[in-house]
Amino acid sequence: MQNSVLTFVPLLAPLSMLLYTAWVLSGKGIRKQRFMISGQLPAFFGFVMALIGLISIVKYATATSPLLGIDGLGFSIRMDMLSMIMLTMIAILGLVILRFSENYLDGDPRQHIFFGRLATTIASVELLVLSGNLFQIMVFWIITSVCLHYLLVFYRHRPQAIAAARKKFIVARAGDISLFAAFTIIYLQFGTGELAVIFEFIQNSGNVAINGAFTWATGLLVIAAVLKSAQFPTHGWLIEVVETPTPVSALLHAGLLNAGPFLMVRMSYLLFESVTASMILMVIGGLTALFASVVYLTQPSIKVSLGYSSIAHMGFSLMLCGLGVYSAAILHIVGHSFYKAHSFLSSGSVIDLVKAKRILQSKRKGNPLLILLSIVVALGIFYLSASLWGLDLAENFSLFIISVIIIMGLAQLMTQTIDAKWNLLAVGQTAVIAAVAALSFLCFEHFAQLLLQAEIPAVYNPHINIAILASVLLAAYGFVVLIQLVSPWLRETTVGYSLGVHLRNGFYANVLFDRMIGSLKHDKFKWANLTVKEEQELPSVGPTEEEKEVEMMVNN
Amino acid sequence: MIITSNTTRAAISEILRKGSRFIAPLWSLENFVAVNVYMGMADMPFDKAMDFLYKSAKTEGTLPVSFYLNALQKGQFTPEDISQALKESSFDRDLDKFLMTLYEDTTPDDNLRISTFADVANEINGKKWSRFMVDRISFWAAAYFDEKQATWDTARQGNSLYQAWKREASVDFGTEVMGLRGFRKYVASLPDDYLDAAKVALNHLELSEDMLDYYLNALLMKLNGWAGFAARIDWDAGLHGQKSHQLPEFLTILLVWESALKQLLRHKELTPSWEFAKHETLQMLSTGNIARSLAKRLVLQQAFDNAQQRKIIALINEQGPVKLTKKAPQFQAVFCIDVRSEAYRRNLETVNRDLATVGFAGFFAFPIKYVQLGHEDGSNQCPVLLTTSHTVKEQLPNETNPGSALKRRFLQSHLSKAIKAFKQGAISCFGFVSPLGIYFLPKLVSDAFGWTRPAPAPGQVGLHPKEIAQLDVSLEQHTHTEVTGIPLKDRIDMAASALKAMSLTGNFGRVVLITGHGSSSANNPHASGLDCGACGGHSGEANAKVAAAVLNDAAVREALKQQGIDIPFNTLFLPALHDTTTDEVKIFTSSYKKHPAWDQKSINELKYALKMASEMTRAERAGRMGVKEGDINQKIMDRSKDWSQVRPEWGLAGCSSFIVAPRERTAQLNLEGKAFMHNYDWQKDKGFGVLELIMTAPMVVSSWINLQYYASTVDNKVFGAGNKTLHNVVGGLGVQEGFAGDLRVGLPIQSVHDGSKYQHEPTRLNVIIEAPVDEMSIILSKHESVRHLLNNRWIYLFAIDQQGKVTYQYDKDLQWKVI
Repeated sequence: MQNSVLTFVPLLAPLSMLLYTAWVLSGKGIRKQRFMISGQLPAFFGFVMALIGLISIVKYATATSPLLGIDGLGFSIRMDMLSMIMLTMIAILGLVILRFSENYLDGDPRQHIFFGRLATTIASVELLVLSGNLFQIMVFWIITSVCLHYLLVFYRHRPQAIAAARKKFIVARAGDISLFAAFTIIYLQFGTGELAVIFEFIQNSGNVAINGAFTWATGLLVIAAVLKSAQFPTHGWLIEVVETPTPVSALLHAGLLNAGPFLMVRMSYLLFESVTASMILMVIGGLTALFASVVYLTQPSIKVSLGYSSIAHMGFSLMLCGLGVYSAAILHIVGHSFYKAHSFLSSGSVIDLVKAKRILQSKRKGNPLLILLSIVVALGIFYLSASLWGLDLAENFSLFIISVIIIMGLAQLMTQTIDAKWNLLAVGQTAVIAAVAALSFLCFEHFAQLLLQAEIPAVYNPHINIAILASVLLAAYGFVVLIQLVSPWLRETTVGYSLGVHLRNGFYANVLFDRMIGSLKHDKFKWANLTVKEEQELPSVGPTEEEKEVEMMVNN
Repeated sequence: MIITSNTTRAAISEILRKGSRFIAPLWSLENFVAVNVYMGMADMPFDKAMDFLYKSAKTEGTLPVSFYLNALQKGQFTPEDISQALKESSFDRDLDKFLMTLYEDTTPDDNLRISTFADVANEINGKKWSRFMVDRISFWAAAYFDEKQATWDTARQGNSLYQAWKREASVDFGTEVMGLRGFRKYVASLPDDYLDAAKVALNHLELSEDMLDYYLNALLMKLNGWAGFAARIDWDAGLHGQKSHQLPEFLTILLVWESALKQLLRHKELTPSWEFAKHETLQMLSTGNIARSLAKRLVLQQAFDNAQQRKIIALINEQGPVKLTKKAPQFQAVFCIDVRSEAYRRNLETVNRDLATVGFAGFFAFPIKYVQLGHEDGSNQCPVLLTTSHTVKEQLPNETNPGSALKRRFLQSHLSKAIKAFKQGAISCFGFVSPLGIYFLPKLVSDAFGWTRPAPAPGQVGLHPKEIAQLDVSLEQHTHTEVTGIPLKDRIDMAASALKAMSLTGNFGRVVLITGHGSSSANNPHASGLDCGACGGHSGEANAKVAAAVLNDAAVREALKQQGIDIPFNTLFLPALHDTTTDEVKIFTSSYKKHPAWDQKSINELKYALKMASEMTRAERAGRMGVKEGDINQKIMDRSKDWSQVRPEWGLAGCSSFIVAPRERTAQLNLEGKAFMHNYDWQKDKGFGVLELIMTAPMVVSSWINLQYYASTVDNKVFGAGNKTLHNVVGGLGVQEGFAGDLRVGLPIQSVHDGSKYQHEPTRLNVIIEAPVDEMSIILSKHESVRHLLNNRWIYLFAIDQQGKVTYQYDKDLQWKVI
């Protein structure tokens, strides 16, 4: 009982956001002075509540609030390590992003509307992760997307924003339908929508009867996640979200986009049972990760390149889910969230970095022996760290796969220093960074597993098909990394040149989508009311609020 | 139908050159200097130029009528000002009748604008082909001009701009996927040489000569950002006497697109519509009248300008008696002519009565190329109209162990590069984010609360605070890879001309501050736009240090004495930096503490005065920045570090006049930070060489700044950078608004508008010079380009007479009228 009372504590986080929305939208045309205290207070309060939830969950076991509804469908709060980690993360992001928006959008005549939409979106993501039953997940799955829609069309006169909204509309509805179908099947199979009951059933029954309907359900879940996280070829709308103010990008890329991997982890007990669904996830996620992280290299603008980067990281997280290492997926999305929120909010600083680049830098040599040496050093550092940590990689195939990917990263890092003008100090420092990365990975991954063990299936050696698929993907990754490390011979060739052009265009998936939704036509779209509006004049006319006040005082 | 297959290449080249002459160069964000976007039109009357742009590029030449009506209501200008303006216009002089016309709806000729073929295609079935064309070209140009963003360069191929584009357009499927079938084949079939290709396109479009100027400008203005960037490359080449034709090549790309649309779009109405559009255009141009709705607003703008002139003249003429001092003050402080110096100078003089300030171009007449510590290459620290004369390196004094500092700087820079490769490489990025992503949490929070800066200040990478304080310039000559330093003879020449140009050839104080200026903002792509324009969009710190080092040089002083400039042995020049965002003034004393003229007591007194003046100026500016209660000093400091602040300061917003006179003429006036001020004493100016310099350099530069603000205010969509909250830095060199569209020029809307009103109200610059009008006429007769600015009303010129009153106004063609 004590636990179910406690479940209301995290609920206060989204509630405070919703209250704030109501308050902000009730006052028209208010300017910053009133936001100053207001915006951050509820956000900070929400953060404290989330933190209390997180701390108490370490002490107490998973708990679900009483259900407000029938038949395991309705409104209930599930308080477990997964929901608390996600909630705390979102609350922190919410605080930072709301704070950022106060000055950033100051002077925009519709700033209060922006704040309202931002706060509602934060609340809906929080309620999504807190969901204790299928109905609630479904509802907030849709609401987050609707909220995002309104943030995306904050400037209704921008044709590109409208085009993005149209694409997102189609993708999101398709995702909603998939999720709805999946949940319907699950509900019919288990006879309840209550997550706790479903999970308990699966855990206790040992192995679920894998029938056709079950495979369909997991497959549809995977599709819903893939669509939510903007995987290839439906990613076009995501890179165009830069048509709306930067804080939205930060919130989307660091918060909302995670809904895909979150759903996979939330439903991991089910997903885990279906090799087919896991393999679909790995193929789509793994290939998107490869595709988007290469496209990233070709993009000439900062925000669009960050968009591709997010697509890549979502793909990678989904692939980890397919591989069955859900803890690593969560570790990745949490790390990615903070990293990407910071990248977007600080994207104006890129000019500072450009200026700093004028410092004399040693060029890469492209010496194959030195590159080989770098790879060996990276391997060595990781191996040593793993031994130090007491981990035997041969024991666990999935972890082995991730470790190899980490080592690929370390190799890239070491090559920058070793395959350049030799400098012992630089090599030493780079090696230290590599060691920190390796140890951090081992340590965080261990704790992620430890913390989440109740919510996710234990990591064990995957099905042979999955193992083969993972090896193929790994080989492809290795090939790309190798090409990246050895000199850029590829881009000099005709094939390389053409490939570069096609990649920069994201293999034209987005243009094709644009054509399908008729992006060149500003007024016609058959699925929703999404037309480009006329731009409004700036509020240069008429006295300001201040002047009105003065006038009133004079009159009185 | 003038272009045929027989047209010579030279003729095509001339057509392209003429058609692109109205595109102003655009500088990269690293040194974002103000540019007069109308500079190519200076030989046209202001009204005509606005009409030309209105008709060809759909740009607005003024703010909407509502702005002026509101200003009229608030009394910012009066009906008499309008009457005055009407006298010179084509309208009936009846004021009431004119005011009535302001409320009428648009007149038929208002909608008549030039259509390009893409515009015509837009109207056929609602598909916005022109937007698609702009987006495709812009996406390519971003990759082609990209300097620092993409790791994998996928565009810089071929021998020239046009050829690189052609190669890509023959490979890229994008345009065809959107429905323009055969585009790749069509482009591939064109000649490799841009002139030949332009000929094919022009021939195909069948344009008549009369509309060519309008048409080509209409086309280029669709992408005036990238066109401007290409124009800047041509500009730089021109300064060094080299040939470059990036802009004509860029224009060719647009022409080819137009031609391709004509060739490939299948719609039976297209050809007749295009013929009709051309016909309409010719008809519109045949009248030669200014579009009516624009003409009305131009009258209002003229009236608004008249009122501003009235006010500034009254301010100067109605002040109390002015005493011209002859005594040397204890302190002098040279500031940039920048409008932001005005408030500070006024407050500083109020705090210390024994201190005189001087206004002079912020590079202090030392046009150097400055190589920062450990840098590969230098930056040009001078107005963009000039080329640099000497290369000067930054250095650390020997007692700081410069070797180890440099090593640290290199190491830090190398490590960031390695980490960047790790963080952003394909696949390797996953290995970065999984373990290290979480470490961004503390960084995210500390940046959000302003405890840290999102990216280290570029000049300080790898250096300890103590070392940063001791950074200095090296005048000694070195010949390593290039010749650096300034030889003694040049030092003497530069010192003499600088002091003469400042009208500072005697009455030296104990301490003379040479105060450059810079700004401090975080996470602001347009940060360099707040720095010193006279230093080419950089902080003026380096120029101040060089100037002080030269002027303290004993050998230089010795030589100056022979030229009649006697600097007392106990006068010390000290470099300083005015941070215009925080209004702090920092003196760089570290190199001069052992100088014989060092006097700790004076320095302390000076520092105290500076501190007081900073606080007063901050308090003065606070209202304009919306900082009201609480610790104003702290709040203004915080703004300069706030990564979410889109208005760290107001820059030069409000700039409306340029006063060239002895300081005493303005010393008692509060010019509200809206005036450029240049010290000038014509009686000391033998031969009026200095006057000529002022009228051809600082005056032109101030007009550039003023007109940049004008353009960014009246049409932020075309000549401004749009909304800062949507800015997406492209290629490490410019911004784009959102996902697509052209590179943006000019200032963001947040830099001219505070959310409820314009902080910069469009006003053409009023230049007020205290000098004999005849001498000014002689100078103007020598310089056609400056004369154009005045004759065509891009700026106004007034003269102060011997009694210190503004009495004459330059009218036209070297004629003056008495006010």
